[in-house]
Amino acid sequence: MRRSIVALALAASVASMAGGVTAQAAAGSAPLVVGEFAPFSGADAVFGPEMAGGCIPAVRAINADGGVLGHTMSCVEEDTRGDPADAVPAADKMIASVTNLVGALGPSSDEALPTVPILNQAKVPMFVETGQAAFDHTTAAYFWRITPADDVKGFALALWAHRAGYTRAAAVFGSDVGSQSDVPTLLTAWKRLGGTMVANQRIALDSSSYETEVEQLVQSRPQVIFTEVDPQTGSTYFSELQQLHGLIPIIGTEISLEAPWLKAVSGALGAGPTAKYIEGMQPYAPPSGPAWKVYNKTLRASSSQVPQPAQWSADPYSMTFYDAVNVMALAMLDGHSTSRSVENRYISTVTAPGAGKTIVYSFAAGKAALAAGHKIQYVGAGGPIIFNKWHNSTGAFEAAKFINHHLKLVGSVSAQKIASLSH
Amino acid sequence: MSLLLPAIGFGVVTASILALAGVGFTLQFGVTNILNLSYGSIMTGAAFVALLVSQQGFSVWLAVAAGGVFGAIFSVALNRGVYTPFIRRGTRLFGMIIVTISVALVVQYAIQAIWGASFFSLSGLHSPSIHLGDFAFTQIQLGIVGLGLGAMVAVHLLLRFTTLGKAMRATATNPELARNCGVATDRVIDIAWAISGGLCGLAGVVLVMNVTAFTPATGGEFLIPIIAVAVLGGIGQAYGAMLGALIVGITSELAAALISPDYKDVVAFVILIAVLLVRPKGILSEIAAAKEVAA
Repeated sequence: MRRSIVALALAASVASMAGGVTAQAAAGSAPLVVGEFAPFSGADAVFGPEMAGGCIPAVRAINADGGVLGHTMSCVEEDTRGDPADAVPAADKMIASVTNLVGALGPSSDEALPTVPILNQAKVPMFVETGQAAFDHTTAAYFWRITPADDVKGFALALWAHRAGYTRAAAVFGSDVGSQSDVPTLLTAWKRLGGTMVANQRIALDSSSYETEVEQLVQSRPQVIFTEVDPQTGSTYFSELQQLHGLIPIIGTEISLEAPWLKAVSGALGAGPTAKYIEGMQPYAPPSGPAWKVYNKTLRASSSQVPQPAQWSADPYSMTFYDAVNVMALAMLDGHSTSRSVENRYISTVTAPGAGKTIVYSFAAGKAALAAGHKIQYVGAGGPIIFNKWHNSTGAFEAAKFINHHLKLVGSVSAQKIASLSH
Repeated sequence: MSLLLPAIGFGVVTASILALAGVGFTLQFGVTNILNLSYGSIMTGAAFVALLVSQQGFSVWLAVAAGGVFGAIFSVALNRGVYTPFIRRGTRLFGMIIVTISVALVVQYAIQAIWGASFFSLSGLHSPSIHLGDFAFTQIQLGIVGLGLGAMVAVHLLLRFTTLGKAMRATATNPELARNCGVATDRVIDIAWAISGGLCGLAGVVLVMNVTAFTPATGGEFLIPIIAVAVLGGIGQAYGAMLGALIVGITSELAAALISPDYKDVVAFVILIAVLLVRPKGILSEIAAAKEVAA
């Protein structure tokens, strides 16, 4: 038994290495496949459908426009379960078994540390979901990030609270790695802006009560609370605050704008108090503009494959995954090859601004421009994509509130302000 | 204002929930010798029954009662329909643990299939807070403490002063001897499942009243503290579970106040390990054993 397990593991490793060494061009006219490498089950099971909300409309639009170099495209789910123990074999399996794999969406923070090196070694271009600061200066050539890193969020939260005139703040963050990665930059930013952090609570998730923590918070007399906690923890903590002392303004990360969080917390606090006291900051991707219109139209037309597609219309992560698939497809067209290594070289070419470039807002427009011999800059549903030398592209942030069961944008923090505060 | 006294007060609320759940869990194990790891999922099932009642506009306390009734009926049915057939076939302790884990998963996923993997809240939970000196509670929390105290007194009266209680203790100590002495042990076991299931149901509903938002997995996530309470007090010892609940509830809140909120669960388990090093069978097991012998 032990020997057969070892043999299987060796076979998987050899297959994985073989995929990595060749990164060969697609055979025949078989579909080109994008791996949705994310949790589709487990605690972060929402990540997978959110990713599919971007991938499926993208391949639909690409296929409707004749595909890429004679190939159609498709998305395939690779469930990481949000656990490195499951994600590593899932990565090996995807590399070894998916024919014509041209790239991956993901991994998320749950599984990025062990799987980014595997995908990179196998030369799979990956548009990651993880915001971990560990990848801010990554040298992994096949790593691409078009959503802001976690440590940038801290700057955005602090700037937004500072603009509202708050000077005394409290940080209430979950003890999990993802939430805690926001805290150091938040503390730094808040101090640089002249604010006082009167409490910094690192709380155990999903306890039956947080009254002691709430009491501690209230005694420190903050004007505003910065937070990132899971939905159940948030509903328990803030409903106890509401009932024992009354709510104060709360500024959360993008987690606090996700549907499960809003359902749990607004169910506990009531819709009115949620709308009045809670704001969330998320990457700035306004549901408007020519690229978003194409995205939204194709998304809404994908209801046979995407359940309740409207839920992803204004989701910045779904938008950026849509953009990622378009970028992969345009990179292959520009490089005249479906080879992953060639595709990877052209990713920054089709997104970078430049004199004389044609700005395109869709795959169809990009394909036409490339066919006409133009150089292109793809500007996506999530906005312009400008990679730095570490393949990170950070944009602005927006603040939103949950009013009448809809997210309403209430303002934004520019990329320039974040950059000037962070340096 | 010091956090010490409020933390103790908040610990009493947590202890009340843990006591309801822990006493039910340990009573069930004491009488039936089945380590029922589906207990947390049954708590969740009771919470969803309470949600149904609450959605019809009834009082949240009626929803609590409905959850208790569901827990009692479901537990008896579970024992008769699933566990007893396995025991008759000779399945031993470890095998039964696997069976109970399987039941837990089936119940959890059945709830998820019916209700969806989402968050739910009971209605009617908003109540003004009441300040008693350094202590602050919501009316709901005072109700939970009252329910916990009432249930513990009822369990005490049942075990100490009724024929049924004596029969339950006899069955727990030596079922064969009890049967030979004329105790209808099958009936006693049914009643033990009903009582422990009732406590399980009550605990499930008051848990979700306190956390305010819950999922099909909420009860299962609470199982570890429940087992800790039962083991700390001496597995099978109802009074031990009450004491264990107080210790775990209060120390976890004190740890949040005096050390860090991040360590509130850890400290309770450190105490559990320390106690078990000194008293391997739990705090009250030897005292209870001595009393049983004397009686």
